[in-house]
Parts: sequence; C-alpha cells; structure tokens
Amino acid sequence: MTDSAGVVIIGGGVNGTGIAYHLAKKGYTDVIVLEKSYICSGASGRNGGGIRQQWSTKENIKLAIESTRMFEELQKELDTDLEFKQGGYLVLAFTEEEVEQFKKNVSIQNEMGLDSKFINPEEAKELVPELNISKVKGATFNETDGTIYPFKVVHGYAKAIKEMGIDVREHTEVLDIEKNGDEITAVKTNKGTIKTDTVVNAAGGWSKKVAEMLQVDLPNKPYRHEIMVTEPYAPFLDPMVISFHHGIYFSQSEHGNIVGGIGNPNETEGIEQRASLWFLKTMAKTLVEFVPRFKGMNMLRQWAGLYDTTPDAQPVLGPVPEVKRFYQVNGFSGHGFMVSPVVDKVTAELILGETPSMDISDLSITRFEDMDIEKEYSVVG
Amino acid sequence: MPDNRIKEHPVLDFDRGKEIYFEFEGKKIKAYERETIASALYANGIHQFTESKKMHRPRGFFCAIGKCSSCIMKVNGIPHVRTCITPVEEGMKVERHSAQPEIPEIEPEPYPEPEEKEVEIAVVGGGPAGLSAAIVAAEFGGDVHLFDEGDSLGGQLVKQTHQFFGSHKAEAGTRGIDIGTDLLEKAKEMGVKIHHNATVLGYYPEMTLTVDAGGKLEIYHVKGIVYATGAIENYLAFENNDLPGIYGAGGVQTLMNEQGIIPGRKVLMVGSGNVGLIVSYQLLQAGVDVVEVVEAMPHIGGYQVHASKIRRAGVPINTRHTIVKAKGDYEVESAIIQELDEDWNPVPGTEREIECDIICIAVGLQPDNHFLRQAGCDIEFVRELGGFVPIRNKDMETTVEGIFVAGDAAGIEEATVAVLEGRLAGAAIIQRLYGTSEDTQKEKEKAREGIEQMRKGPYGQMPRRGVKVCTIDEEVC
Repeated sequence: MTDSAGVVIIGGGVNGTGIAYHLAKKGYTDVIVLEKSYICSGASGRNGGGIRQQWSTKENIKLAIESTRMFEELQKELDTDLEFKQGGYLVLAFTEEEVEQFKKNVSIQNEMGLDSKFINPEEAKELVPELNISKVKGATFNETDGTIYPFKVVHGYAKAIKEMGIDVREHTEVLDIEKNGDEITAVKTNKGTIKTDTVVNAAGGWSKKVAEMLQVDLPNKPYRHEIMVTEPYAPFLDPMVISFHHGIYFSQSEHGNIVGGIGNPNETEGIEQRASLWFLKTMAKTLVEFVPRFKGMNMLRQWAGLYDTTPDAQPVLGPVPEVKRFYQVNGFSGHGFMVSPVVDKVTAELILGETPSMDISDLSITRFEDMDIEKEYSVVG
Repeated sequence: MPDNRIKEHPVLDFDRGKEIYFEFEGKKIKAYERETIASALYANGIHQFTESKKMHRPRGFFCAIGKCSSCIMKVNGIPHVRTCITPVEEGMKVERHSAQPEIPEIEPEPYPEPEEKEVEIAVVGGGPAGLSAAIVAAEFGGDVHLFDEGDSLGGQLVKQTHQFFGSHKAEAGTRGIDIGTDLLEKAKEMGVKIHHNATVLGYYPEMTLTVDAGGKLEIYHVKGIVYATGAIENYLAFENNDLPGIYGAGGVQTLMNEQGIIPGRKVLMVGSGNVGLIVSYQLLQAGVDVVEVVEAMPHIGGYQVHASKIRRAGVPINTRHTIVKAKGDYEVESAIIQELDEDWNPVPGTEREIECDIICIAVGLQPDNHFLRQAGCDIEFVRELGGFVPIRNKDMETTVEGIFVAGDAAGIEEATVAVLEGRLAGAAIIQRLYGTSEDTQKEKEKAREGIEQMRKGPYGQMPRRGVKVCTIDEEVC
C-alpha cells in the first residue's frame, strides 16, 4: 500500500496528537499520525501529570507560563474535564546551594511575570501540615502550578483530530525515512510506505533513532524513570511536592491516589521500561521520610517510562540544518507534557510557514554545535 | 439476623470450624473460623460491601476470589482489604468505607526492611495447574515454593461438586472437589512449601518476585517460575449491572460450594456454557430455585449432558435471549430479558420481567496473566483462548526463559487440561534448571498426549485452533 500525506507525525503522544490538533484547528488535515504502539503508550501516558512553571531558564519559564494558560483553555475547547487542578508546586530546598539557586530562580521567574515566592520551612509546613521539615532549608511555592490527567489530554486530542479528519494509525511502526538530497520523500512503515515531504519527530525516547534514519544526529539520550500510585485516600495534600536533591515528586490526584516518582542516580542510558525493585524500596522509604503518615498507605502499582534527555535538559525544537521540513519536538528531559501546548502550537505554525507566535529558535538543535547552552537545573530525578 | 448457611447438601459436608464473633459497623456478628469476612457477612444477610466512586451506588461482591476489588472494606482500621479472601477472626472490626478513606494510623515503627530469600522454583497460584506443576517439579527433586492469595488452595476445583469426564483416565468420574483435595495432599506430601494468604505482587528483572505475605513484604529471588493464576470472569454490559445480587457464576460457586452459604432464593442464569449449566445444577443441589437460563447464542454452549440435567429438573433454557436490565433499589429484585434477532439485536416487544434476587453472569472467562506482561513475556490476543495469552513453546515456557505458564492463565480450557499443562510445565522447568533426564522427558510426553486427547473432541476444536497460533514449535531441551 502506498499513500501520501502533507505531514507525517511520528509519535502518538501528547506532542504528536497536539501538533495534529493545532494543524487541524487551522484547517490543515492532510496529516497522518503514526504510533508504533497505541495512543498515549509512551511517556505521555506514564508521567505524573505535573504542570510546573518554576524553572531556572527563561526559555522553560516562558514555555511553561504560556502552556499553563493554554491547558485551562484546552479544557473548554475539548469540552472535557481534564482534571486540571492548580494546587501549586512546593519545591523543597535541602542544601544551602539549593537555597541560593532557588532565590535566583524566583527572581528570574518574578521578572518573567510568574508570582512564585521563596518561603521558610515553617511556611512550607503550613501548606502541607504532614510534611517532615526537619531537614528542609527553605522552599519555593507557586500557586498556579498544578496537575492534569495526561490520558484525558491525549485522548481528548486524539478524538478531536479524528473527528476533524486526521488519520491516526496505531500499531504502525516507522522503519525508515527516505530522502532525495536534503528533501524528504517518504516514510516507510511496517504497514506500507507514505509519500510526504514533511516529517515531525515527536517520538519521545525513540527520537534519536528516528533522526538517525535521516542521518541527523540528536544529542538525546533515553533514560528510564519510574513512578508509582497508591491506593486512594481522603484528600490531604494540595500541592505537588518536589525535591531536586532527592529527585522525588509526589501529589494527590482528584481520585485520592498519591502519584509520585523518584529518579535513580545510577540509571543507565537505554530503552528500558520495566519496573525495578530499587524504585519500590527507595520510593517507599523516601515517601515515608517526607511524610511520616504515608507509612499507613499501600502502593497500588508502579511503572516506568522514558525521559528523552538532552545535555542542557531543554527540548530540541524546530527544523534541522541538514534536511528540509524535518521538525524536532523531542528531548524534553522529563518535562515534555507540561510545556506541550505552546510547543505544539508553535510547531504547527512553523510547518505551515506562519510567523511563530513565540520565538523558540533558541531551542533549535544548532545550539549544541558550539555548546552555547545554559543548563536547566530544576530537573527532578 | 438471618442465617443463610446451607444446613444440608447432597454432596458436600461443610466443616466450618469454631463459632466466633466479630463486629460489623457496631453490630456483633456470628461467624465460623473457616469463613472469609465477605461470606460471614453474606451469611448474615449483608450484601452491600462497597459503593461506587462517583455515584455512590451500592456494590456487592462479584468474583469472590480476590480479583475484582468489589468487596474491599476497612478491617481493624486498615482500608482496602479484599474481604472475599481474608479469613474472619474473633473480635475483628469490619466496616464499609467511602472511595477515599482516611490514611490509617499504624504503629510508629521504623520502615521495615523486606525479608529477602533465595529459592529455586516459585509456582504462582494454587489451582489445578499450579498444584500439578508443583507436585511434578517436587517429585523430580526441585525446591518448590507455591504461593496462593487465598486461605485455602485448590483454585476453582474445590468448588466443583460434579464428576469430571473426558478421556484422561486419572480424572474421569471423580468430583472436582476431590481432585483439588488430592492434589493439595500430594503437594504437601512431596514437600512443596505452601504459602497461603500470600499475594505475588510483581516480577522484577531478573527472576525476582515481591510477595505480600499477610501485610508483610517479602522478596524472593528464584531460578524459575510457573505462573498459574487462572482466569477472571467476564462481565456483561446492561442497565444496573452493578447492583448487589449480580455475581459471577464462579463467585456464586465459591460462596455456595466452598463457604456453604445460600446465595439467594431465585436465580436468573445468564449464559449456557458449561459453567452456567453446572452452576445452575449446583444451585438446585443447594435448594435454590433457578428460574431460567438465558443464552444469547442460537444454541446451548455447554455439554448436552449438563443441559439435560437441569432441563429434567424443570429449568427452561432460552437461547437467543439476553438480559437487558436489572431492577431494584439496593439489591436485585427482578430482571428484564429480551429475545435477540439473527444480528444479535433485541427484538422489540419481547421484553419479559423475571422475578429473581440473584443474576448469575456466566459469559466466559479471560486469562489472568498481567504478571507475565509485566515480566516482559510476549502476549498475543487469541480469541479462541479467551483473550490475551502468552506466546509459549511446546513446554509451556514463555518468551522469557525460565518463566512457564499453565492452566487458564495460558488460555481458557478444561480443568483437566490445566492439570496436564501444570505437569508438563513442572517437568519442563526441571529440565530448564537441571537438564533433561529420561523421566522428565517421559513425563512431558505423557502430559502432551493427555492434552492432545482432551483437545480431540468437538469441544476441543476452539482451543486446538487457539494454541496453534500462540505455540512455538520448540522445546526447552
């Protein structure tokens, strides 16, 4: 079977379906979304649903502020309850260095228009009365941060784009991308070839492999990150609590479950999505250290997903120099979901040759050539 | 309080153990020490165990074997306890809780390090397949640990009061319950270490299992695994299908034949496969009125001999009929059934209301093999075997070396096949770990022959087609 499309999007996660959604909203539906497994089967369906605007680099803050605003709108547009809850993010500092960095972050964030603040441990305890603050040196808090239910967002997009006439093909794996000179000609899948001149690489942890098909070298590296959910309990935790020092984050969902993860400093690069015993033990122990009352709870499930990481922990966006019309939407380093709305909108604008509503050229792959990068420090795990 | 315990039964004797008392929401309740919390409550006329999360609709149990979580309650202050597999104890405090209970306050003890153990072979599930695998592996000298989340073992066999038939001579003519008891005795005799009330929670690379042993986490590092967790009952979509009184046929069997409790007065049976027919007969044995059996297919699904038995007892079996609605405020009071046309659509004007207090759902089973998926075994959807099943070789080894599967977890078939697959896996895991001997090879061949025999009959067609799709033509050694 040979068919064709104006745009082929590789990846059926939040960005793949989100870009298709923004293209369709502009009336462009000659699009095929390819997903090698099922919709939302990758990191989009495996993350904790956190939406944070408290970042250390201007690029990430800018993307996150606009995206948070857009998530609110999306709920109305899709006419679905996306379980968008703005309970705030409480970011805990455990060392003097963190205190200094956090103060710096807050001042940049405030400069960018975000109403975050630095607070002392006692104020943190007021926000989460059950919190063990014996080792906490300070914290930052931003009340418009929060959580969203990732499945509802991605399936909301998927439903909307199908209704608007976009072809979504699940269980369709990209085997190769063909080009003639610097122009893409076709995408070869396990279910046939699709003629196209435009490809979006939104393949998450598999993005590097996809780029290799066009001899484009991405600096991205996939790493496993693990997460768990407890049985549901009465609401008692408003904000998402995180610590970069421990690499941990946890929040309570609308259903009452505690959802959280912790990064393994010894994790090795690679595509591994199985759950580990290390995580089970470490997460349980660390959660109880943070909130002693957690010891009365049962963990229900644990699972893993992939961070697609870059050297500066910021995404790779936009076109590449070597191949025409090959757009990158990857390398999110664990915070792809929360910045997806604006990234997807701008990517759609770039594809259609419109002037982008936000300048994202700083996040182009070319920044790695001379390593003119500023590292994002506020990364969990 | 009513006492709904079966007093006399033509086949079964119920050894309930000592009389004890526990507390349910402030009321003192009589129970017997071999009962589960859910059955003791049921025996005392309490049928609502939980409520739905959003609409707060009443919910009763459904599966009665710890798989559906429709019976979770607060026990001695701990919420989310599966009461259908938790034995009742003297002085226990049991109460219902909302979808979001308070976090329980537990003793201020430091976080306990889980106990880690090294054993050779873990068998998960103590039904016919698991017990058989454990027996054979132990016979060949294996260090076998068998885990089952229930208090008693034997799986679904211990509730089968009917006599088995089929060509495999060992089981033909014997009642399921006796086969189950014999297997358990044999396993103990062979030195299988049996872990009751031990839920295997997950698989971790490589070859590590976590086990919830009565609230305590244990970690087992093993060399090989036989996975035999059976099946989950299928559910059916119709209006009010969550009312207490609507139970899986297997759930009713557990309550009635294992726990000795009368499920209700009048039963509508949905489904005429062997399970539907046999459970109908068992209900009659227990003195319960089976009002009608409805079957959506144009013909009866199960063996003619089972159908004749209940027809002789005056129970009508209506093919091309299905349930469309259950009625009742807190529990089932009646059901609306309707005729189906050739395209399976309800025929208008054929609705009929049937007075009943139990609606038994017997519309098939699906393999329970989440664990294998978690362990990374390749899984394929095979309709003929009831759903998603692991790809396996001729020795029942999955695509992850050292992990074997047997019984309904590998695909829905007869209990005899489960026994034989268990024996096959038991011999094969020994070969995998210690190499082939003449005896293990013989055992494997004998088991395979038996399975072949079982699949030769007209009812073996489906599974025969199914296993062809998901079996790789290879052996362990």
